[in-house]
Amino acid sequence: MTVLIDLPREAPVVGPGVTLRSLSEEVSNRVLLPNTPRWWWIGFALGMALLLTFVVQLIWLFINGVGIWGINIPVAWGFAIAEYVWWIALASGGTIVSALFFLTRSPWRSATNRIAETMLLSAAPCAGLLPIMHLGRQGLFYWLFPYSSVMGVWPQVRSPLWWDFVCLLCYILMSIMYYYTGLLPDLATVRDLARTRWKQVFYGVLALGWHGSARHWRNQQTVYAVMSAIMAPMVISVHSVVGLDFAGGITPGWHSTQFPPYFFFGAVISGTALIMMLTILVRWGYGLEDVLTGYHLNALAKVMLVGSVMLGYAYVWEAWGPIYGSDVAERTQFFYRIFGFYAACYWGKIVLNIVIPQLLWLPIVRRSEVLLFSISAGIIVGMWLERFVIVIPSLSHGYMPSYWGVFFPTFWDWAALAGTIGLFLSLFFLLLKLVPIVSMSEVREIVAKERSR
Amino acid sequence: MNTALVLSALLFLVLLLSVWVVPVMGYNTQQRYQPEQPVPFSHKHHVAGLGLDCRYCHTSVETSSFAGIPPTETCMTCHSQIWTHAAVLEPVRQSFATGVPLRWTEVYRLPDYVYFNHSIHIAKGIGCTECHGPIGDMALTWKWPTLYMSWCLSCHRDPAPHLRPLNQVFNPFWKRTPDTPSGKLLMAAYHIHPETLSDCGVCHR
Amino acid sequence: MSIAHRDYWRSLEELAESPGFAQLVEREAPRFRDMLGPLDRRNFLRLMAAAMALGGLSDCGPEAEPRQLLPYVEQPPGIVPGQARYYATATTRSGFATGVLIEHRMARPVKVEGNPDHPASLGAASAIMQASILELYDPRRAQTILGQGQIDSWEHLITALFDRREQLLARGGAGLRLLTGAVTSPSLRAQIALLQQQFPAMRWHQWEPLGRGNERIASERMLGRPLDRRFDLDNADIIFAIESDLISNVPGWLAYARQFAAHRRPDETGGKMSRIYAIESTPTLIGAKADHRLALGPADLAAAMRYLAAITGAGPQDWQQTPVADAAWLRAAADDLNQHKGRVLVHAGREQPVEIHLLADAINNALGAFGQTIRLIEPVAPSGSTDQSLEALVGDMTAGRVDTLVMLETNPVYDAPADLDFTAALNRVPLSVSLALYADETAMASTWLVPATQEYEAWGDARAFDGTITIQQPQVRRLYNGHSPHELLAVLHGNTLPIDYQLVRDFWQNETHQRGIGDFDRFWHEALRIGIVENSAAPTVTATPNASALTSLQAAEKPVPGVQLLFREDPLVGGGRDVNNPWLLETPRPFTRLTWDNAALIAPATAKRLGLGIGDVLEIADHGRKVRAPVFVLPGQAADCITLPLGFGHTAGGLGADIGFDAYRLRTSAAPWITRGATLSRTGETYRLATVQGHDRVAGRDLVREGTLTEYQDNPDFLRRPETDQSLYPEYKYPRYAWAMAIDLNSCIGCQSCVVACQAENNIPTVGKDMVLQERIMHWLRIDRYYHGPVDNPAVAFEPVPCMHCEQAPCEVVCPVHATVHDHDGLNLMVYNRCIGTRFCSNNCPYKVRRFNYFGFAERDDRPPESWNPEVTVRNRGVMEKCTYCIQRIRHAEIEADKQDRLVPDGAIQTACQQSCPTQAIIFGNRNDRDSGVARRKASLLDYTLLDELNTRPRTSYAALIRNPNPKIGDREA
Repeated sequence: MTVLIDLPREAPVVGPGVTLRSLSEEVSNRVLLPNTPRWWWIGFALGMALLLTFVVQLIWLFINGVGIWGINIPVAWGFAIAEYVWWIALASGGTIVSALFFLTRSPWRSATNRIAETMLLSAAPCAGLLPIMHLGRQGLFYWLFPYSSVMGVWPQVRSPLWWDFVCLLCYILMSIMYYYTGLLPDLATVRDLARTRWKQVFYGVLALGWHGSARHWRNQQTVYAVMSAIMAPMVISVHSVVGLDFAGGITPGWHSTQFPPYFFFGAVISGTALIMMLTILVRWGYGLEDVLTGYHLNALAKVMLVGSVMLGYAYVWEAWGPIYGSDVAERTQFFYRIFGFYAACYWGKIVLNIVIPQLLWLPIVRRSEVLLFSISAGIIVGMWLERFVIVIPSLSHGYMPSYWGVFFPTFWDWAALAGTIGLFLSLFFLLLKLVPIVSMSEVREIVAKERSR
Repeated sequence: MNTALVLSALLFLVLLLSVWVVPVMGYNTQQRYQPEQPVPFSHKHHVAGLGLDCRYCHTSVETSSFAGIPPTETCMTCHSQIWTHAAVLEPVRQSFATGVPLRWTEVYRLPDYVYFNHSIHIAKGIGCTECHGPIGDMALTWKWPTLYMSWCLSCHRDPAPHLRPLNQVFNPFWKRTPDTPSGKLLMAAYHIHPETLSDCGVCHR
Repeated sequence: MSIAHRDYWRSLEELAESPGFAQLVEREAPRFRDMLGPLDRRNFLRLMAAAMALGGLSDCGPEAEPRQLLPYVEQPPGIVPGQARYYATATTRSGFATGVLIEHRMARPVKVEGNPDHPASLGAASAIMQASILELYDPRRAQTILGQGQIDSWEHLITALFDRREQLLARGGAGLRLLTGAVTSPSLRAQIALLQQQFPAMRWHQWEPLGRGNERIASERMLGRPLDRRFDLDNADIIFAIESDLISNVPGWLAYARQFAAHRRPDETGGKMSRIYAIESTPTLIGAKADHRLALGPADLAAAMRYLAAITGAGPQDWQQTPVADAAWLRAAADDLNQHKGRVLVHAGREQPVEIHLLADAINNALGAFGQTIRLIEPVAPSGSTDQSLEALVGDMTAGRVDTLVMLETNPVYDAPADLDFTAALNRVPLSVSLALYADETAMASTWLVPATQEYEAWGDARAFDGTITIQQPQVRRLYNGHSPHELLAVLHGNTLPIDYQLVRDFWQNETHQRGIGDFDRFWHEALRIGIVENSAAPTVTATPNASALTSLQAAEKPVPGVQLLFREDPLVGGGRDVNNPWLLETPRPFTRLTWDNAALIAPATAKRLGLGIGDVLEIADHGRKVRAPVFVLPGQAADCITLPLGFGHTAGGLGADIGFDAYRLRTSAAPWITRGATLSRTGETYRLATVQGHDRVAGRDLVREGTLTEYQDNPDFLRRPETDQSLYPEYKYPRYAWAMAIDLNSCIGCQSCVVACQAENNIPTVGKDMVLQERIMHWLRIDRYYHGPVDNPAVAFEPVPCMHCEQAPCEVVCPVHATVHDHDGLNLMVYNRCIGTRFCSNNCPYKVRRFNYFGFAERDDRPPESWNPEVTVRNRGVMEKCTYCIQRIRHAEIEADKQDRLVPDGAIQTACQQSCPTQAIIFGNRNDRDSGVARRKASLLDYTLLDELNTRPRTSYAALIRNPNPKIGDREA
């Protein structure tokens, strides 16, 4: 790992040594070669270990119910919801990078979009599971589906939770299809380069008989473009609706119209941060310095910086509303946030999400992998704190002073957190092993462009 | 690609079936459920045959939420005189002699969170057969409706077609004739406010 | 025992420790051996719990194994399956009866209501009365006779007693002693008298740990003989309360509280209000309602009373010379009293020393209260408990002069004064028989333990505070083969086959014969039907108060420095009698809001001086006896006074064993209520106290509207806020019914009756201390207690908070599955079986009245299935619940009305809380009906709703709190 990446003023998106063939082999070899690097095994083992705790906590949860967590009345939502928002934000970040920047035709996106989408695919299940886990009667979650054959009643469409359920469902399904569509040509490449029989069959089936005819390309490109065009607004809507889960309530600290954009900003910064970490990991692990160049990291860093500034703006309004407004409950609630029992979390999020990322103004910082990695890690933690601060302190200091209370996480709250992280890691490392982690087809275009100049 | 289309179509079909068909299959609805009873009591014989009124045995049906299962003594009012040695009636005589109640098996079972009240249905012109089906012709009592909430609601949302003149409520063989007053009319006469009947709190407390 | 009781509030930790997956499933999943029980609501829920435990789907699919229907063989007359029946009887505390009606469902008692025809109830039912139904079913009651600690039989006991009886007869009963609490039961007294005849040398001792001895002695000195008092608050324009329990504990307090409140509702009395002065060392309910209150230590209190006596002309004038704090306050109060001669009442609590009672009576006498606000009657429990009586007994026991001791439902080993050392004395008695409801300390220390019948299991009779007699009839066949006191005494009479029914009935046959009442059967059935023996109230007697009684007083004692211990009865567990009742343990205390514990109550100033905080464990030592007690800092407590609530810290018995600390261990016969010179030492430990209120003040919210009577008279709508009701949407119409509730803050005295009534009616489970600490208490109705003003002596407001049933309910819009919805009567329904437990409704409820079953609380609750109310769903794990305005009662009334094609008349529906409320603070009814009680209350200019700026349009509204301060006294809020 180099200390400082050289960042030429007018940047080639890919390193000089990259040819079409070298690219294909370099990337697809990671998938095909039998000898798996040790760091992969370590990462995967870690993921599986945490996944095990997830399974244990699930069993315990189904036996005993949500009472095993620290939630109570007034704080009826705890880690499960905070982390749900956290994960969905991370996932959306992936879509933003891959879909939004596809539409803007930003060249740097091509090499990173696969990482982004893989991350999205690994984060989405975590986001999907938590809301179901947190139900009092998990077995009955399917009552959210609009059917009435037995009871003659329908879900209530006025409830933000229901919008949320619908959005999340569509979002996850779309993401899978989007991922797969973009993956098709690369699966074909892997199939063609594959030597052993079972790999040929495995990737052959997945490739759906792709042989790169002009027609195939045309269809794939159109579908992909259309999907991006759908995904880009969808990710915004999904996150806005998650925001409405809170804005839809009259709880002091939630009842604010700024939540939809607020949550979207959060998605941008936290998603990019996680992509940054994973890119650096892949880059270093797979030795793809030529494909994932400093140019990419630099671009990601700038997005992160923008996200951080936007978020700062949201934080200002979060403070301004209660202070300027007339609602005594809102005000006490806000002062409780910044000075009360959970104050540390509030200031933690300010420092990690706003203050520290300002370092990214300095080019030198944007060129140091170590700094980028740690700043990103800080942001991930900071975003978790933000979700915590939104959900828990708001509930613990509501309208009724007689029913103010606090929430202490129990062992099982932490187990749920660790567990979802485990689920994410396991999935990510699995996909890392199974699919080309850089979109060869797209990078090929770029390489071609480079050559033609 | 076409195969993919076919596959997804099949998947969709399966989903549809599992939601709209499986729940209403007899296995799930338990319609025609006809358990063994200690005494093979026949409504057909007592009602269609002898023309006993429902209220002779189900005494509290007009006053209480619970229609009432007749005490052994009610059986014995007649069966101390007739069929005094019939083998099938042995459990009844046993019960009467020993004071140990008969153990009937429940045919219509509602979940405990459903509070059904017989008396109000009777008072508002809902005949026994609306829910109990051709009870007058049942040799052994069996479960007629699905007892699904959607079935309850079908009437609670639109009671008019199910109403009948009060003097016909206990007639198990009643048929709507041209000169029976229309459901709308009866609904007005009974002061039924259908919009309130589907409030959850009507049945769930 | 203790295992069972731990089981009650099993903690997460214990859960985690529990070995083996199998046991877990066994606990959470249905117990299949129970599944065959007929008519059992819980089993279905257990089944659902199991389905859930396996993550299964539970709404459709084939039937579980069939249930069975068991008709009667011969139907008892009058019993209609599915309809409730009510039977009258009475429940007693310290011997005094309060009439109750017990609701039966399918011949099972499920709920206790007050008996409207009974003078001590008037339809109201205290928390303790409500909870008594749980005592009846309590599986932890003593169930088997123990002889020398071995399981034994009734027959053996009888033979044992008969052998002893022969010897006793020989020596005329010498060595035979009978120990009881206060006895008002005519039949029991007759039996004791008969026993006295058979054994002339027998002695009958009475012991009431929380007796009213001082009051009795005072009236002996003041009136010449012990007389009971009845108070007529209708005539009392001014009540001067000296740490008074007038509306919290005196026999008949339910009736007094109603009278009290009737004169505190200015919008109903036409702008008139009584005025309350209170001086007290520790907060009382009447102190909380007082218009002026002083927190004084015992010494200051005595000084103040002498000063007051002097300036009201009741005592020697030279007492005015001795300077007292708050002289101006007292002067103003005295003037006020003097201006209302004949319409005042000075009442001192039973804990006050004889001196204070004498002073109070002297002032009453001087101001002509006797005959006006105080009526005298012959004692209802003659030769009522005297501490000397117990001392004499212990003396004889230690001296070996007692060889047979029979104890009827009394627990001296636990509650006798510590200096007497009753236990040691008891060990010297060869034959001691203890008739006890629980295997309590005394029962375990006696040679024979005889399980007693709970009051609802046996025949008996008792008298109320005014002498009215109730014949108690059993409500159910004896659950745990107990025996009634009548039966045990009958055995001593020589009766080998005593039957309580015979004994009580024969007594009354003979009694009516002597009273010359002809038709006994008519009398008997009528008495049982209405729950009282007609015109059995004691006639008022006259006694001339001895004006010179005060001359006997010694000079006032100088206030001594240092802290003093005040021994006071815990408001809910009745000095230990009711400590085994989970409902009472989990009901928050009115001021401390404390559950499942007692604590040493200390004034904020004192706590600061001693450097103590809530939860610090204090070691209190007095005459070598030590007690470790957690501290609770209580605003309004007098400085340097530590209140120790009595009744906790049992070492044996039922659920109550090992809960809290035992203050009796510091209590001596010399100083039963107040002791000085105790030494305090910090242990450095801390103890988690489970309180339920998050914050003591309204924090700027408009939750408690309060004003003064003069403001109200000047401008009746002075508390109105501009109408904030704006909505873009068309209003809902409620053509038929609009159910609504009005709660009067002036009437609410914070007695918690409604809380327990709601728990009893609506199958609300107890959750245990650990869950209360986790803020998961399930009460649907809570009484918030707000302070304002100085922390040493704050003004207190009690505010009952049920569901507001908002017309624009925030909870409804956020539920994704329609589990909480509005109905056409405007009720905010909670459909348990549709709820999937997102809990968004609770987050979105501004009033925080929703409760969530974080665990299967109801499934864990170990009360027997038949004790639940079958009219209300027992909620299972993972569903939200909340106040329903007692929808089961509403539906019942609506159905009955619909059957007759008419509207539900006003008053036909009483919610459980309304029914139990002694002061009628809660009124429920149809708002559309202009002359309904609730509509009239809501028409009042004092009516307001909570957080109306949110525009939720609550159906529950409040009448603002009006106080009637004396203009001559600076308003303490100012």
